[in-house]
Amino acid sequence: MRVRRILSGAVGVMALASVTVFGVTTSSAHVAKVAAAQCKASIAIEAPFATGPATQLGLEQLHFAQLAVAMANKANGTSITLGKDDTGLNPSLATTRTNSIIASSAVAAVGPAGSQEVEAVGPLYAKAGMAFVSGSATLPALATSGANKTFFRVVPDDDIQGPNDANYIIKHKLAPAGSTILIVDDQEAYSEGLVAVMTPILKAAGFTVNHQSYNGTDTGATLQSDLSALATSQVNSSTHLVIVPWQSAGNAQQFGQTLQQQGKTVTLFGTDGTDSPGQFVIPGTYVSNFGPDISTSKSAVDKAIVKGIKKYGPYGAFGVPTWEATTVVMNAISSVCKAGKTPSRSNVLAAVRKTNISATQSAMGVPIKFKADGDLVAKAGYLFHISSKGTYVEISDK
Amino acid sequence: MHIFIQTLVTGIVTGCLYALIALGYSMVYGVLKLLNFAHGDLYMVGAFIGYFAIQWFGGAAALIIPVPLLVIFMMLVAGLGVGALGVAIERFAYRPLRNAPRIAPLITALGVSFILEDSVLLLFGGFTRNYNAPAFLPFTESIHIDGVPIDSVQIIVVCVSLAMMVGLRELVNRTLFGKSMRAVASDREAAEMLGINVDRTIAMTFFIGSAMAGVAGVMSGLAFGQISNIIGFLAGLKAFTAAVVGGIGSIPGAMIGGLFIGLCESFSSSYVSSQYSDLIVFGILIATMLVRPQGVFGQPPLQKV
Amino acid sequence: MAPIGVDEWVARSGDRRDSGWRGGLSRIDARVGWWPRLLVVGLLAFVYGEFVVGGNVNYAQTGFNVVLYALLALGLNIVVGWAGLLDLGYIAFFGAGAYGYALFSSHAFGNLPLASGGVQLPAVASIPIAVAGVAILGLLIGLVALRLSGDYLAIVTLFVGQAFAEAVNNVAPGTLGGANGLFGLQGFKVGSAEIGSTLGYYWFAVIALLILMALLHLLDTSRTGRAWRAVRDDSLAASAMTIPVNKVKVMAFTFGAIVAALAGTIFAAQQSSVFATNFNAQTLILIYACLVLGGAGSIAGAVLGGVVVTVAQQLLSSPIDSAYLFYGILVIVLIARVRPWRHLGAVVAAIVGLGFAAHAIVGAISHSAVAGSPGSAGWFAGALRHFAIVPRGEPLTYGNILYVAAIIMVIAVVQLKGIRRLIAVVPTVYVGICCWEARLTLDPGITAQIMIGAILIVTMAARPEGLLGSRRVEVI
Repeated sequence: MRVRRILSGAVGVMALASVTVFGVTTSSAHVAKVAAAQCKASIAIEAPFATGPATQLGLEQLHFAQLAVAMANKANGTSITLGKDDTGLNPSLATTRTNSIIASSAVAAVGPAGSQEVEAVGPLYAKAGMAFVSGSATLPALATSGANKTFFRVVPDDDIQGPNDANYIIKHKLAPAGSTILIVDDQEAYSEGLVAVMTPILKAAGFTVNHQSYNGTDTGATLQSDLSALATSQVNSSTHLVIVPWQSAGNAQQFGQTLQQQGKTVTLFGTDGTDSPGQFVIPGTYVSNFGPDISTSKSAVDKAIVKGIKKYGPYGAFGVPTWEATTVVMNAISSVCKAGKTPSRSNVLAAVRKTNISATQSAMGVPIKFKADGDLVAKAGYLFHISSKGTYVEISDK
Repeated sequence: MHIFIQTLVTGIVTGCLYALIALGYSMVYGVLKLLNFAHGDLYMVGAFIGYFAIQWFGGAAALIIPVPLLVIFMMLVAGLGVGALGVAIERFAYRPLRNAPRIAPLITALGVSFILEDSVLLLFGGFTRNYNAPAFLPFTESIHIDGVPIDSVQIIVVCVSLAMMVGLRELVNRTLFGKSMRAVASDREAAEMLGINVDRTIAMTFFIGSAMAGVAGVMSGLAFGQISNIIGFLAGLKAFTAAVVGGIGSIPGAMIGGLFIGLCESFSSSYVSSQYSDLIVFGILIATMLVRPQGVFGQPPLQKV
Repeated sequence: MAPIGVDEWVARSGDRRDSGWRGGLSRIDARVGWWPRLLVVGLLAFVYGEFVVGGNVNYAQTGFNVVLYALLALGLNIVVGWAGLLDLGYIAFFGAGAYGYALFSSHAFGNLPLASGGVQLPAVASIPIAVAGVAILGLLIGLVALRLSGDYLAIVTLFVGQAFAEAVNNVAPGTLGGANGLFGLQGFKVGSAEIGSTLGYYWFAVIALLILMALLHLLDTSRTGRAWRAVRDDSLAASAMTIPVNKVKVMAFTFGAIVAALAGTIFAAQQSSVFATNFNAQTLILIYACLVLGGAGSIAGAVLGGVVVTVAQQLLSSPIDSAYLFYGILVIVLIARVRPWRHLGAVVAAIVGLGFAAHAIVGAISHSAVAGSPGSAGWFAGALRHFAIVPRGEPLTYGNILYVAAIIMVIAVVQLKGIRRLIAVVPTVYVGICCWEARLTLDPGITAQIMIGAILIVTMAARPEGLLGSRRVEVI
């Protein structure tokens, strides 16, 4: 009927108009709210929690960030809201989201998760004078290149973790002298970076390094073909140690099970990307990480996190640094409010630069203090050994 | 030799799974001329159903029912559940588009794929689950060929796949339903005019194809361990490839295509390089398609003048 | 397959209307030439860039994305819409154009790790080189396509697309950047003037779009365009009419590749970086959605599709806008599908009544079951406080059950007919609203993806030929 069609058209037009109007006015209305008496501000998190190949990582980061916001709001008496922006680990999507964040009233951001995304959005945040703290972008060049002036990270970069692990392997003789060490990368920037740093150190110590690679985003049968091929043809009698600096604990577990199924006994060495007490549980494995295993840690902060994160289910190693990064931002905003000022991008940036969280208050067991280029001052490192029961036992990484 | 046999075993296991999913693709394409990009996600749903079946019976480490019963139960429930889901999707999303230009159902299938993947993400979270099959189907129970262990999971996968393929072939060639399926695939108008209930035939085809994908999902969980909401995309892609390489619409073609791709992947990863294995497989497949454009078992397209 | 005896003219009869506002629109449509329409598009783009953006980087970025996807959809339209070749590897042309530009604007040919050296040509030189290179690639793919038809072509082009992303990620990391990609790219420079901002690239892209639309229109109305349409409809008959089918197919691929490459160079310059992950299947799906939603085979359709899909994506990523979209779609669907007025009124009244009643009853039974606040942002939360049942805390199980129930009920509603459907709509809508408020607003990123999937399904079911497409009879 005619009237109906006119009406549906009118509703459609009205809806579109109101959306644009409200979209414009909510941002400006929000800015006005920030000036209220109570410490109100908004921050945003960029993580790949809805699309892309790393939704597990992204969801974990998101949940830990939400927990950090809730905990800090309660502890500091602030009223800070968290906006959620999915980047799908795709740098162009990250750029779009970043522009959206910059146009909104957010005063600081957490993330993005991937080093590639930081490369893409770093200059945008620098231009907007907005601080962004990442809990997982470990490419060394991000801080040293100078293009990302407002970038901070609460994790040490690959240039620290790689040599730490390689030197531990050499010192504690995890592989017999002169044997072959198989090191596999999963074709991601994180993995390739670690491999590039560890290989020369191991070679210099007299090991033969067999560098292989597989597509880490493969799933199912294709993944099994890759892992099975690695186990079959690359793990021979002279290989006693396999280093798996991957971003997927599930893949590491599948690889371990494939090795078991084929009857090959080797020691596995994983890095922080594979640290997941719920997923990667091959006995005899060594796993390095930036932070302690919070489920067994005695620190009060970690216990509080464990309690709060229970409702979201299992987690791995990517959550705690994001919690830390979010807490850095929350504390910065809170300190600005305590000084009697309204949070703005510039004063929050200055406050983040002055961050000084002691080791006992930090979830990662190391003090959080930033260098001028955004890197962490402390050189953190933890090492775990998986017992025969599949539990993570912390050992010294010296 | 050892490497060769191990590679062969892996190739056959993965090939059987690709073949099962490819069969569903081929059947649906045959009756509807539709590339169902959501088929891989049905496989993913089947894997999740199997996982929850294990959890329901106490979890991988503490099962309360005997293992053979569990495996049969998982496959039945996954098959029926995913089959029903497939029928519902067909009625809801594809039926309105029976007479639409071919590209429209493609987009609908992509929409269904989004919804399936993200619904699973919403309901169950992004955390990868692991069947942890070695806890109840241990590696130690295996036979050895030249030092290469073939464990019970792999034997189950191959046997069940072969049984299903043979069963499907019998269904298509010997039963009345199979005949009506072939009739609808050949000429829908004529089949309708001859009194075949086209809607019901199509629904049953979807049911069988989806059920096979569901069972393939359970078996992939048993064989590979980890499942997540994104496993469907790559599996669907490979199965689509298998169906096309074997000749789309042809059932023996899908089986051969699946095995071919599984073996290609396995051998190129082992013998050439796991870094470039995807590229090599693509290259082999492109070459195969150029040599035989209609696929191995496909019919050269009839051109009606 | 079309019913027997139906041809194109008959199939389109539903689109020809003489009465009502649609008839009025179609009369205006028939009278307005093509060039004034181009002027209108240009005017809209100008107004957007000049007045709406106003310094807001978000709007500038959205505008740029819209024009970028419109360009890509136009290029895909040549291959899929006009020539009828299902090219699932189109993303490779886009990526190759972007990487081609990047190679000549970064340190790729020099020393990547030290970020020095390399060939850095001005945009005037690097864009044509990149586009020419990709045109050759398109030619090669087109030659491959000659041997394959239909779905076989689809699978081979899909391989090419996947192979491109893999190759660029792994092969020659010293030149192509590997997983780290190429970044710090030089922007478009003319002499010493460089386009510095997203808005600048927006204007550049708009100009490119307008020129391209004009060129493509000329192509469409020329012999080549008619040849493409003939080959799409029936290639055997076309070759019988002395149309060089092979040449025409290869031309389609080449032109599509050229447009994609141009879009790629603009994309690379605006992002000032390229990564392999930019060119994955998700982007390809979006481009296809743009084209098919807008109407494959029509220039205006491709552009409109680009606008609709990009704007929808942008809206869905902001919580308050996605609430508007959800409720807006709900209202529009109800108005459009519930036939007589009195039925619509009854249904709405029943939904409202059911909502308040259920909320009151559940609230009386258990206070904490309704103590939570609805998840929608803005004034929705206040309005729905006494309507939707949202428990205190954030219980995921309740929300999940509601979600599954909502999906099952929607499927059931579609199957029912008549009065039963009307009755079933009432609880379905209420459960849907409760599910939205209690669960879907908690995970906006995932909800956005679900909504996109739902939009794709619903629009294809409602209008399979796309918004501005026309119904065609296909000879299979």
